[in-house]
Amino acid sequence: MRIPESPRDQAALVLGLLALISPVFALTTSSNNNFVKMEGISILLFPLIGLLAIVGALTSRAVLATAAGALFALMALVQLAQFGRDPNWLGGSGNTFSLLLALSLGLMLTSRFAPTHSPETPQPRKSHTPHS
Amino acid sequence: MSRPTRSIPPAPPGGLGERTDRWLIAAFRIGVAFLWLENSGWKKPDDFSSLRHFTELAVEYPVVTPFTWIVENVVLPNFAFFGWMTLLLEASLGAFLLLGLATRLWAIIGLGQTLAITMSVLNAPHEWEWSYYLMFLAHLALFATAAGRSFGLDAVFRPRWSQSDDRVSKLLMRLS
Repeated sequence: MRIPESPRDQAALVLGLLALISPVFALTTSSNNNFVKMEGISILLFPLIGLLAIVGALTSRAVLATAAGALFALMALVQLAQFGRDPNWLGGSGNTFSLLLALSLGLMLTSRFAPTHSPETPQPRKSHTPHS
Repeated sequence: MSRPTRSIPPAPPGGLGERTDRWLIAAFRIGVAFLWLENSGWKKPDDFSSLRHFTELAVEYPVVTPFTWIVENVVLPNFAFFGWMTLLLEASLGAFLLLGLATRLWAIIGLGQTLAITMSVLNAPHEWEWSYYLMFLAHLALFATAAGRSFGLDAVFRPRWSQSDDRVSKLLMRLS
């Protein structure tokens, strides 16, 4: 498996990996040191959507990273609306919302605006036919 | 004409090397991001009772008189609004610093929020004043090192912004 060369795909890969490993926060149970509250269905949704971003990065399909970003944005809105209330479908809190905000913004902005060529990689130039 | 992309200064001779410096700056940025990210967890709508308790300390144990007046007469009577603004601001601080996007802007916003927190609780009992001084210094360091240029999205976007002449790109070059 090759690490993508374009900054766009590298960013999607890193953000996808962050989402993939984020259920690790479920292990931090102290009320004071939970970093990100990760409970219930979120433990499944974060890595699944993260995998979508990773597949998008490895196959250089920006549309998959955009879709992953949009799904995280939807989760962020649901979390913001339900945090501190009942029901709380995602089981998270303000820090879950903050992580979702980072993942959604990061994936949507990079898939849309990040360069598809690394600065070191020479970009193909438009060929100009010399006048004969 | 496009401006050259500025990076962090090269590592001094005898140092750990530029790449190591960048990793350490990125780790520092992500650590500060988690400071805000984690602490947006206990600001719970709709009553924001814990946040209200700490805000009331600004009145009970005043630090700066004009700030205390604002808290007493503007913030506390409209606390639901200020609670939501605090939650959104701190969650955004966590998100943007984690991404390393417009990092210098968010470092300044972090300085401002740290100042507000400091003026609320500095004189309260059982508070360690250096917590807030260190928070302030941490955001100064994020600004000084332009920490988003080290493995952050600022590093991804700056080459594109630097080649664009539009005002938004020029502004983002300054804020990143």
